[in-house]
Amino acid sequence: MSGPAIGADATAPVSAAAPDSAAAPVIDRATMEVDIACVGFGPAMGGFLTTLTREWTAHPDDPAFASKVAPGMPLQVLCYERADDIAAGVSGIVTSARGIRASFPDLDATEIPMATPIAEERVLYLLDPIGASRRSFALRVGDTLLRGFGGLLGVKDSAFELAWTPGFLHKHGGLLLSIGQFNQWVGSQLMATGLVQIWPGTPVCTPIFAAETGKQRYSVQGIRLADQGVDRTGAPADGFMAGMDVHAPLTVVGDGPVGAVGQALDQRIGMPPGHAQNEWALGMKMVVELPEDTPLKPGTVWHTFGFPEPEIFGFLYVHPGRLVSVGIFVPSWMGDPERTTYRYLQHYIQHPALWRYLKDGTLRSWGAKSLQESGKHGEPFLTGDGFARIGEGSGSTNMLTNSGVDEAWTTGVQLADAVVELLRAEKPFTQENLFATYVARRHASWLEREADEAKNARNGFHGGLVRGMIGMALAGLTHGKLSLGGTIPSAQQQIHPFSPRKVSGVKALEAELLAEDARVGGRPLHDALMTARGWPEIELDGRLLVTQQDALLMGGKVQAMAGFADHVVFRDPHLCAECAEKTCVAMCSGQAITQTAEGAIAFEREKCVHCGACLWNCAHTPFGENTNIDFRAGAGGLHSAEN
Amino acid sequence: METILVLTHVDESGSALTKASLEAVTAGVELARQLSAALTIGILGPASAEAANSAAGAVAAPGARLLAVSGEAFAQPRYATDAAGCEALCRAAQASIVLAPGSSRFVRVAAGVAHRLGGFLDTHITSLSSNDCVDATRWFYRQRVEATISREARPWFLLLDAGTHAAFAAEPATAQVEAVDVTLPTTRTTVEGLRSPMRDAQTIRPDAQLLFVAGAGWTKKQPDGQIHVAEAGQLILAFLRLSGASLGSSKSLADQKAEGPGEEQSVLPFLSHMNQIGQTGATPRHAKGLSTCCHGEEPHVVGWRFVGERRAISLDQNCGWTRGKADVVYITDAFQVIAKVNELLQARRS
Amino acid sequence: MAQALQLVVCAGIVPDPLQTLEPVTGPNGPGLKNEMVLPAVLDPWAACALYEAAQLVAKNPGSKLWLVSLGPKAKLQQVMMTVGQKAVFELIPIDGPIGGFPDAHSTAAALAEAIAALPGFDRERLLLFGGWESATRGAGVTLQLVGERLGITDQFQGVDQITLREDGSFEVLERVEGGRHQVSVCAGTPAVLGWATGNLAEPRNNPQTGMANMRGIMPALQKAKTVALDGNGLRYVSVSLPKQQRETRVEKNMTADEIARELVEWIGAE
Repeated sequence: MSGPAIGADATAPVSAAAPDSAAAPVIDRATMEVDIACVGFGPAMGGFLTTLTREWTAHPDDPAFASKVAPGMPLQVLCYERADDIAAGVSGIVTSARGIRASFPDLDATEIPMATPIAEERVLYLLDPIGASRRSFALRVGDTLLRGFGGLLGVKDSAFELAWTPGFLHKHGGLLLSIGQFNQWVGSQLMATGLVQIWPGTPVCTPIFAAETGKQRYSVQGIRLADQGVDRTGAPADGFMAGMDVHAPLTVVGDGPVGAVGQALDQRIGMPPGHAQNEWALGMKMVVELPEDTPLKPGTVWHTFGFPEPEIFGFLYVHPGRLVSVGIFVPSWMGDPERTTYRYLQHYIQHPALWRYLKDGTLRSWGAKSLQESGKHGEPFLTGDGFARIGEGSGSTNMLTNSGVDEAWTTGVQLADAVVELLRAEKPFTQENLFATYVARRHASWLEREADEAKNARNGFHGGLVRGMIGMALAGLTHGKLSLGGTIPSAQQQIHPFSPRKVSGVKALEAELLAEDARVGGRPLHDALMTARGWPEIELDGRLLVTQQDALLMGGKVQAMAGFADHVVFRDPHLCAECAEKTCVAMCSGQAITQTAEGAIAFEREKCVHCGACLWNCAHTPFGENTNIDFRAGAGGLHSAEN
Repeated sequence: METILVLTHVDESGSALTKASLEAVTAGVELARQLSAALTIGILGPASAEAANSAAGAVAAPGARLLAVSGEAFAQPRYATDAAGCEALCRAAQASIVLAPGSSRFVRVAAGVAHRLGGFLDTHITSLSSNDCVDATRWFYRQRVEATISREARPWFLLLDAGTHAAFAAEPATAQVEAVDVTLPTTRTTVEGLRSPMRDAQTIRPDAQLLFVAGAGWTKKQPDGQIHVAEAGQLILAFLRLSGASLGSSKSLADQKAEGPGEEQSVLPFLSHMNQIGQTGATPRHAKGLSTCCHGEEPHVVGWRFVGERRAISLDQNCGWTRGKADVVYITDAFQVIAKVNELLQARRS
Repeated sequence: MAQALQLVVCAGIVPDPLQTLEPVTGPNGPGLKNEMVLPAVLDPWAACALYEAAQLVAKNPGSKLWLVSLGPKAKLQQVMMTVGQKAVFELIPIDGPIGGFPDAHSTAAALAEAIAALPGFDRERLLLFGGWESATRGAGVTLQLVGERLGITDQFQGVDQITLREDGSFEVLERVEGGRHQVSVCAGTPAVLGWATGNLAEPRNNPQTGMANMRGIMPALQKAKTVALDGNGLRYVSVSLPKQQRETRVEKNMTADEIARELVEWIGAE
């Protein structure tokens, strides 16, 4: 296929506004005109591009698919992805696959590596065999009863299987997927059409806003790619290559919950009244190869709760080929600033109910990602002049059914249908037109109906696990008609201030000493406190239980291409030095954020897996709503296709 | 019935066979004995007759032959002439199996020669065995997968990795050398000689007893929060000088460039990609290997495959990359240890 | 004086370097477990050859660069989305088997046939580049065989540098034993150069380069010829992972002095 018009624009458009561009010198920046610029390649973009190319392939001569920016050429559709490979996604997922199956009615799971139909779903409540987790009085009573009547109730390996689970938690007829493999499968088919291009290793740093005239406040004219050949601060260095401006009548934003373009839109436009992205979780998982004699069958799905902390939910999914995805979610509402996900995950897999199957396994890969868990409450403005938002960053994840991939896919499909309709009608991609086609479709679909039902399903968790479970059941069983009320504070406000006196199970003096040790560069506080609270040290075996640094090197190693700026920036480093919680250090999936001997905070780009946890794990907001951590566009990250 | 030809070439003196060639002779002698096959040694060099004496003992058996192509054209390695010379030796020997050292000289031409003879070539052979047929062992995927292969097609050319066989040693004798005529092709390439690395530059020297591997940790922040690249360079160079070790490096260290605009030099100026071991580097053979500051880097995974005794210095006591691969891991600061080691080595010298 | 060269780079794709590899034997012989699943990259040494070739093209206007690659079309396509951003070239894909176990002689035959059939191919202006070895088979023979099939008898391996001269000749540095370079001067094209690492840094991803390449890459992939490779009687008796696991002694409590003394004793006299 022919390419779009490429030119060099020596005068950077005044509207091409990076957040700090006012003071930036004018840079000779190349420009390119395309019809549709897409940001981020995940399931939402997969749904968008699949649907678009299907219609295009079916009607190759339809003038709707002729380029408007490059007359005589076909529609120019380009997608830019930060990761080095379209297969470098991070998630093992179970999905009802309604939207995915609607796109692929004859889907054969065996075509997608690591995919299989769901065969069996179980929900397990895990008791704490160690005695180190923080359990409420109610939970302790329940635990005592379960232990006492364990024989009668079927408690085995310190786990109690729920005999009945509500239908909204089930994914009958659904699929178990590796998101990396699914993305690769979708992407390969897309590229084979020759109609769209997906460029990996190409971070997009910002949308290009139109000049701010008030009326056009929400107008996006394209995207700017990240500069290359810069030093860590972003200043031009050897081999400087200014990021290209890609101008497009339509920008499709699907860069996930922590993407730079989505963030920039939210900052510029704000959220709709009453909406906020306050609830988050960090999902971290391992892909483990099971021993040859494993009894676990492909398609087996376990959901767990109760361990390692009551707030932490877990999962175990069995893929074909003796591979399992096993992981946990650490939510923002676990207010404890010591949120060491990796260590919790190591304790989790050693729970007797899981360890029985995992203990002779081998770690093949590992990964982590932030999940935007605000659901409908976190839905931003979905459209504006020249842009539309899809996927997780558009608030599509359903927090009652714990389902995001199929929903994200469906938002992409809906936008593609809308775009085709507008192209055929020769209507411009204005906010009104996109709203009338895309948002209207979305609001009229099962997606919106279920999002509404789920809207307040999680409110109760801010009052503890038991209250949360009751709230979920209430919302789920009444289809959202009833739910527990509650005000959800911002993610940063959810982080409890560190106080030596308030560390559960640890004497104040000991906690203070540990904090002092951590401050002068000793053992990280979160790690030391977990040990002090009674969590045993991890006995590393070099095979499944490995150091966090070794996990970074599993399954393809974390990659960070040279020549890009640091994408994690501490806005006020002095504030970091004074911060008592340093939750960003505890929560950093790759140990890329560390504390120096002087108590300051340092970032190593080479270890970052781009999980985005630092974005919502800073308790300080010295600059209005922004925390002290700026999470920008960056290249690289995890490089394993098995995630 | 197999017939075996061992292709050899002379060293820079022009009058002796290279050590790797003599290793190939050993392999040929052993294989010929196992197969009860006739053995021929072929020599490539400007004055091959003189060099032949060191291999004469290998062709003492009845029916064994010593062939040579000679002349100034073979004084220096060059594809066109070497290929013609080897082709002539192979045609004269009519061998079904051709063994040769995996030297840079033969690596350059062996495939072409095999093709001219209608044969097939396998390289990096680490061992040969013969029961009913000849099996050869080699590595795939950068020394991560080991395979034993066999071929029925003949002639079968096998290039042997250096160090996999002992060098052939027998009392030099006056050899009966059959000179083989070669029709020399027109040459368009002139070999101008060898260029040694820049002064102070270090290289991997296969003859060294010890391989010292430097990892990227040498250039990272040390416990005082500072980077000490200059000190690292001094420590490493002093260690190499005092220990006689050969220098290897991880890819990430070799890739690092010194700070500063337009700076093309490596962060440690005596180090280049020639030193790199591992995935895109060498997998050298040394009796001993000492790796420093290589946590999670390829030397432990790939580059050490053919190193005998292995020790490592790492700050991370849980480094899973040395476990099961090194014999000893010292959990300590390499700066301190190497400084002390240098002191002791210096004292021992004086 | 600039020369209008024809540069052909032969480059395969290989599993991303630190992937966990496990051999399996299937009906068509050995392979790697989940080989099609493993992220792939352009063979590292061949990638160096590509960057060197791209620089030669940049310095010699009128030159042309082809990248000839044999592998499964779908994997080639993925790798090209990254490689295509680093250098301008025309892709000649050959849809064939993946991995290091197929016979090199068959691979070379397929490559040579594709190169000889390049539109406008002029052997006399040819510089045939590739890696001196691959990260899969690691044999270092394919390129020589391609050269021999094309009748090129000026061949160089382990190349770290080429310097073109005004008279059309060029100087080549090849890695040889002892960490040295052999310096040769070749009267001119055609020649075969199997590259070691060279001296160039990996180019940045340039979206414009990618766009320009993609106009040719996608149609080329769609038209890619499929080849089946003859095994030439190559038989795999066994394929396995190295089993040797060492008992590692982890010394946590020795002082620097103690460690130094132990090391000096271990190093022994050189």
